[in-house]
Amino acid sequence: MQRPVSSLSLSPSVKIKLVAAGFQFTADLLPLKPLQLSKEASLSQQEALEVLQAVRREEGGDEEAAGGGGGGGGGGGGGGPASLTALELLQKEEELRSIVTFSSQLDAALGGGLPVGKTTEICGAPGVGKTQLCLQLAVDVQVPQCFGGVGGQAVYIDTEGSFLLQRVVDIAAAAVQHCSLQVEDDEQRVAMTTFTVETILANMFLVRCHDYVELLAELHLLPAFLSDHPRVRLLVIDSVAFPFRQHFDDLSRRTRLLNGLAQQLIAMATGHNMAVLMTNQMTTRLRGGQSQQVPALGETWGHAPTIRVLLHWAGSRRLAAIFKSPDHMGSTVQYQITSEGFRDVDQSERPPSKRPRTHADQSAESREDASL
Amino acid sequence: MATRKLTRAGVSDEMCEQLKRHKVESCKDLLSLTTVEVMTAAGLSYRRTTELLQTVSRAVAPPVSTALELWRQHSCFSTSLPALDRLLRGGLPRGALTEVTGPSGCGKTQVCLMLSVLATLPKSLGGLDSAVIYIDTESAFSAERLVEIAESRFPDHFGPKERVLQMAGRVHLFRELTCQNVLDRLDRLEEDIISTGAGLVILDSVASVVRKEFDTTLPGNLLHRSDLLGHEASTLKYLAHQFNIPVVLTNQVTTHVGGQGSAGDSGFVTAALGNTWSHSVNTRLIVQYVDARQRQMLIAKSPVAPFAVLNYTVEKQGICMDGEESEGVLYEGTDPGLQPIRVQTEF
Repeated sequence: MQRPVSSLSLSPSVKIKLVAAGFQFTADLLPLKPLQLSKEASLSQQEALEVLQAVRREEGGDEEAAGGGGGGGGGGGGGGPASLTALELLQKEEELRSIVTFSSQLDAALGGGLPVGKTTEICGAPGVGKTQLCLQLAVDVQVPQCFGGVGGQAVYIDTEGSFLLQRVVDIAAAAVQHCSLQVEDDEQRVAMTTFTVETILANMFLVRCHDYVELLAELHLLPAFLSDHPRVRLLVIDSVAFPFRQHFDDLSRRTRLLNGLAQQLIAMATGHNMAVLMTNQMTTRLRGGQSQQVPALGETWGHAPTIRVLLHWAGSRRLAAIFKSPDHMGSTVQYQITSEGFRDVDQSERPPSKRPRTHADQSAESREDASL
Repeated sequence: MATRKLTRAGVSDEMCEQLKRHKVESCKDLLSLTTVEVMTAAGLSYRRTTELLQTVSRAVAPPVSTALELWRQHSCFSTSLPALDRLLRGGLPRGALTEVTGPSGCGKTQVCLMLSVLATLPKSLGGLDSAVIYIDTESAFSAERLVEIAESRFPDHFGPKERVLQMAGRVHLFRELTCQNVLDRLDRLEEDIISTGAGLVILDSVASVVRKEFDTTLPGNLLHRSDLLGHEASTLKYLAHQFNIPVVLTNQVTTHVGGQGSAGDSGFVTAALGNTWSHSVNTRLIVQYVDARQRQMLIAKSPVAPFAVLNYTVEKQGICMDGEESEGVLYEGTDPGLQPIRVQTEF
């Protein structure tokens, strides 16, 4: 059914210009774009856009009235999900807490802790503490929200066999100890009853993958698992490098698979609101006559994680260097591994500073943190 | 498992035929392709392809358990050295690889022999009450020494002669002298573990065959060697995990010449087989010399223990560590792939 242009709900001057330009029916206007319409009908660009939106609305209404498929109203122009403004994203990001590591220096360098919704890679020499940091974070993600934590569960994909339960028990016991020393009100007291070593272990899901095929298969099934377990806030893959460093004759295939894997992880991180943590190994690269340690899996893999942390030795000290981060400058902090887990170097007996619980407290806390 | 054929993974027969034309027959083949490649090979839409991948993944993916369930299983193998057991929180970890490395003559094979005896002991004495698979690549295994250790360390238990013979009958020795033989043996090890009822696998040593056959100054050999070692490591880890047993390996030493040597030395002695191998083992124990008689064991890499130094000597009854209650001295360690090792200087 042809609709005349005059039936559109627009201002009369615009309608006169449209008719003068030769547009009689709304169907004539449909295939046009705003710039073209504004030139042909001598309208301003804003007016041309309003005309086209009005036409589309009418057309969408017609289609629905005729019982046709919906979606006509959303056709053309901005179909699909609405875009976010940076302001909305800022609010969303403030609500998403980071996962505290109990090493306040590392947290400060990362901007509050391990960011949720992003992928982080930890690479480093053997024995430097990558698995320790992963185990620490798998416990820290479960710290209840009233203590400044995230209160979530963790999924730990172990490809190397380095998940040692006794160590997790130690770290969990130390975390419970720290929190119980900070109990101040009833809400926290109640939370402590559900924050014990047993519940920490029960909230940690373990998968042991022996080769890259099992790893890829597990990642295909993970979105369904995450939908069933919406409390998961951390995915640890320890390590990504080990299964991909053997039996790969075709390195370009490996790169393609790694890219696909990276995409899946990013999609899961943003879609399910969780932090993804991967560990990588180091490989020796010969340059000239000298050999140098660089992160394994190649240059292309370097683009995949959002944040990259390098743990390395300097003599007998352990240093963590953040060398890729969109929010923060690269910096290096020193850390140590104690019987209680991953800690700052001069931690001694000071418990980690409390995470702020409300915005009002946050400004007070940040002033206090700055002075520490 | 990854090599499962698609026909048994719940994929329809016509789809299997279709994929076979593109040379995709096992789950591994299918999952190694990117999504677009699968869509092309199977001729399906994106949505149907993801469903197909989900079906195949379900057939391959390992089960998800929680850490709490793991807590209820046995996790350690006691070494009968109290100071070492205390630092390692119970003993050598099951389901993981433990490496003992050090210069020649320091006691690595002695450690292996001692552990073999311990594994055959009944559980009441701290053993595993199981057989031992001992893969020997250096022909260093000595049955007489095994018996001597058993009789000296546990004189009461091994008093009657038949007990000694029974213990010796439970240690299964495989002599493999080339890389290919070692690989073949590892591929068949699953059957051997089941048929002998083994609770401990020892490979003494990883380094000797590899260093004999691979000259790393030739181009391409370093990559081959790393590949081979990676294959060995992943096979052993799989077996260790599936059977929940400890696996002990021994390694040798090499001289590291590097610009970053300490204190002006142009080189120092460190564990052999390189950086990638250092990533592959879960626990690294370094044995080194103090003087002609006194030795030390360093815990250089462990997910549970800090760096520690334990003094020991090699006696008739195997390894003897200082006293019962001595705490290992904690030291400031460094990268376990680059930890300097003291070799024998007096002869």
